[in-house]
Amino acid sequence: MDALNIAREYDTVQYIVIKIGEEQYGIDISYIDNIVRMQSITRVPDVQPYFAGVINIRGEVVPVMSLRLKMGLEPDEYVNKTRIIIVKLENNAPIGLIVDEVKEVVTLDETSIDEVIRDSKVDETYINGIGKNGDTLISLLDLNAVISDKDNS
Amino acid sequence: MDVSQYLGIFLDETNEHLQTLSDQLMILENEPENEDTINEIFRAAHSLKGMAGTMGYKRMQNLTHDMENVFSEVRNGKIKVDGHMVDILFQALDALEEYRENISENQDEGTNDNEPIINELQAILNGEAAAAAPKKEEAAEASGSGDGAAAQSEDASGENKWQDIVLHEPEQHVISEAIKNNSKVYGFTVYIQESCILKAARAFLVFKALEELGEIIVSEPSTQDIEDEKFDFDFSLYFVTDAPIEKVKEAILSVSEIDHVTGDVIDMDKAKIADEDDEDAAPAAETTEEKQEVPAAASAAPAKTNAPAPASTGSDSKGSDAKKGGGKPAVNRTVRVDIEKLDVLMNLVSELIIAKNSLVSFATSETSHSGFNEQIEYLESVTTNLHESVMKVRMVPIESVVNKFPRMIRDLSKKLDKQMELHMTGEETELDRTVVDEIGDPLMHLLRNSADHGLESLELRRERGKSDVGQIYLDAYQDGNNVVIEVRDDGNGIDTEAVKKKGIERGTITPEQAETMSEKDIIDLLFLPSFSTAKVVSDVSGRGVGLDVVRSKIGALGGDVSVKTKLGEGSTWTIRLPLTLAIIQALMVVVGGEKYAISLGSIQTIEDVAEEDIKYVEAREVINLRDTVIPIIRLRDILHVEAETDEKKSNMVVIIVKKGDQLAGLVVDELIGQQEIVIKSLGKYINCSSRLISGATILGDGEVALILDANVLI
Repeated sequence: MDALNIAREYDTVQYIVIKIGEEQYGIDISYIDNIVRMQSITRVPDVQPYFAGVINIRGEVVPVMSLRLKMGLEPDEYVNKTRIIIVKLENNAPIGLIVDEVKEVVTLDETSIDEVIRDSKVDETYINGIGKNGDTLISLLDLNAVISDKDNS
Repeated sequence: MDVSQYLGIFLDETNEHLQTLSDQLMILENEPENEDTINEIFRAAHSLKGMAGTMGYKRMQNLTHDMENVFSEVRNGKIKVDGHMVDILFQALDALEEYRENISENQDEGTNDNEPIINELQAILNGEAAAAAPKKEEAAEASGSGDGAAAQSEDASGENKWQDIVLHEPEQHVISEAIKNNSKVYGFTVYIQESCILKAARAFLVFKALEELGEIIVSEPSTQDIEDEKFDFDFSLYFVTDAPIEKVKEAILSVSEIDHVTGDVIDMDKAKIADEDDEDAAPAAETTEEKQEVPAAASAAPAKTNAPAPASTGSDSKGSDAKKGGGKPAVNRTVRVDIEKLDVLMNLVSELIIAKNSLVSFATSETSHSGFNEQIEYLESVTTNLHESVMKVRMVPIESVVNKFPRMIRDLSKKLDKQMELHMTGEETELDRTVVDEIGDPLMHLLRNSADHGLESLELRRERGKSDVGQIYLDAYQDGNNVVIEVRDDGNGIDTEAVKKKGIERGTITPEQAETMSEKDIIDLLFLPSFSTAKVVSDVSGRGVGLDVVRSKIGALGGDVSVKTKLGEGSTWTIRLPLTLAIIQALMVVVGGEKYAISLGSIQTIEDVAEEDIKYVEAREVINLRDTVIPIIRLRDILHVEAETDEKKSNMVVIIVKKGDQLAGLVVDELIGQQEIVIKSLGKYINCSSRLISGATILGDGEVALILDANVLI
């Protein structure tokens, strides 16, 4: 709901469009700290399965999460286009999200954001809106839901 | 005057003075005649009064004023210290503590006048003053206003304090030389206005002015103490010069905020000569005697019977002060540094070390040039030193936490109606500031536990042939990279049967489980939340919020707590804490292509073990190392390293780690070497279910390596 509220307060919100599989997702640009190329990830034993490990971002140890595994998709295949998006929620520590590809930045206004469609392919709890950018649909990620640890062991 | 900028200093100093008062009162309770203690208390109360007055905290000032009056009378020998008085004084102390807390919270002392305490203090004063009245009129008058009494008696005999300066051989020599050369030797006592804030600076200006005219031979207190502001509002000195005395006095008085100065030409016959033979034996009693005589003879004041006593205690206190100044300072000289600034400094050092590490890895990968290596060695020594000094700034003695415990035990003793004594050692042991701030509560829990559950009732103690007074010990010492704090009592020990019963009652364990549980497992039950074996819930402990909090708090600091106990003989609680939290020496190892760091603190030895030396005990792999059977842990398995072709090597590298007296052998693929690493947290997102990984560090090549917590493996 956060993104919706923000959308009402400010007329437009900028999203970074990423690709996971065939689907496009949008991440509110204000939460993004950095986007880095794939780098060597240090595996951490006995952690939640969707955590790929930790990386070094400017002297900070940052945990990296696989969005694919979190959403129950096939494991990542690291290619040239693979990126790690470092997001930072309010005062929380940064966290990295592995995505297949980063495409572009779009500006969506209130009117082009719809509420979540029930039958979404992806677990709907990770999405809090659908944005329409011309002909393409962008699922807007609810970062709080993605990062929180409530439904996984 | 705007004094808000001094608030921080005021609060810190108030803390110190309150602590001094509390400590000294404890001593006073046991040795009511101890003059040093009485003087110490008087000074602390006096300083507190002055500070509170300057800051405009009237209520605090009133209370300390009355306390000071009581001590002034005690000092003059007009009131005897008794249990009732100490109780009242402790109450007053608590009230002051309350003021301090109010002030630190909202810069206001609150509205509590603490009249009952003030009245009690007045009662002590008046009761004794009335009794003293027949003795001497002046005395009664003086005790009416303690301040006045002190001032008056000082006026009567103590004004020329310079006469009390004890001369040693070298100084005598200088004086006799000076007299031979027709120079004049004067003695002076300089009084600084009591409103002066920078006493030391004024004293310094006086010294400077004097040095232009001649030579200062000796001063009382010593120049060092004067620089450190370890004096009241006066100091005395012997001075050699050719100038007439008026000119010298004029020079002294030209310094502002000097109240007045007394002085005269020195008569070598009257001056006190230190008995050199007795120097080592700290001739406290002797000098006291001497001092008692001289002021009496020197002062032509009418109050002859009265004068010597206060004067001698006054000068005696000076003497003891100076002695202490030479040895260990009474109050810790502290550097107060904003912890945030330290953290920044710490981060900088961390980065420096990372930079160094990257240089090191560069050097090992390229063909080495000698100059380059030199640079690295230099950088290495710099960073190590920097690390050490920053660490030292962060280290504070645990004293600041533990020195409130004697008072707590005293109160507990009264509350629980049990006799007990607390013995502390190793208060000077230093720990990281953040750790010291956190260990107060856990230690308090353990002490209360010992006092309440540990120590038996008087009847039981007598039955068991123990002394009436229960003994509680708190010992702290450094052990390698750890600091160990032990809380020990000679009480009942833990009744494991009772714990078992309680566990079954509460459904924590089943009766069957209880049968097979080892003593250690049973004691571990005590650390579970809401588990208390006290039959009666008391004010002191027994609400079941104790030991689990202790364990979790100590755990959060990277330490652990264990207990050894013997029923009927007592228990020992041992808290083990890491010396520092931020940078450690670690051994870097390779396990299946991944790099891990193991803290050197937990490593005992590194062994080369042949595969065929592995034996099996209860289906677990062990090795027999110099007659000790040590379980083997293969890190590859534990860490779920995806086994790349595991070519069987005939020899394995085994790192022997220890926790307390337990050992384990960790099998690794390869050793990289020893390295200083900066500990970084993994953050709260990652949840390592096995707790094997205690953190991470960044290596020279920018890669992240994980830190293995060997304690979890054992």
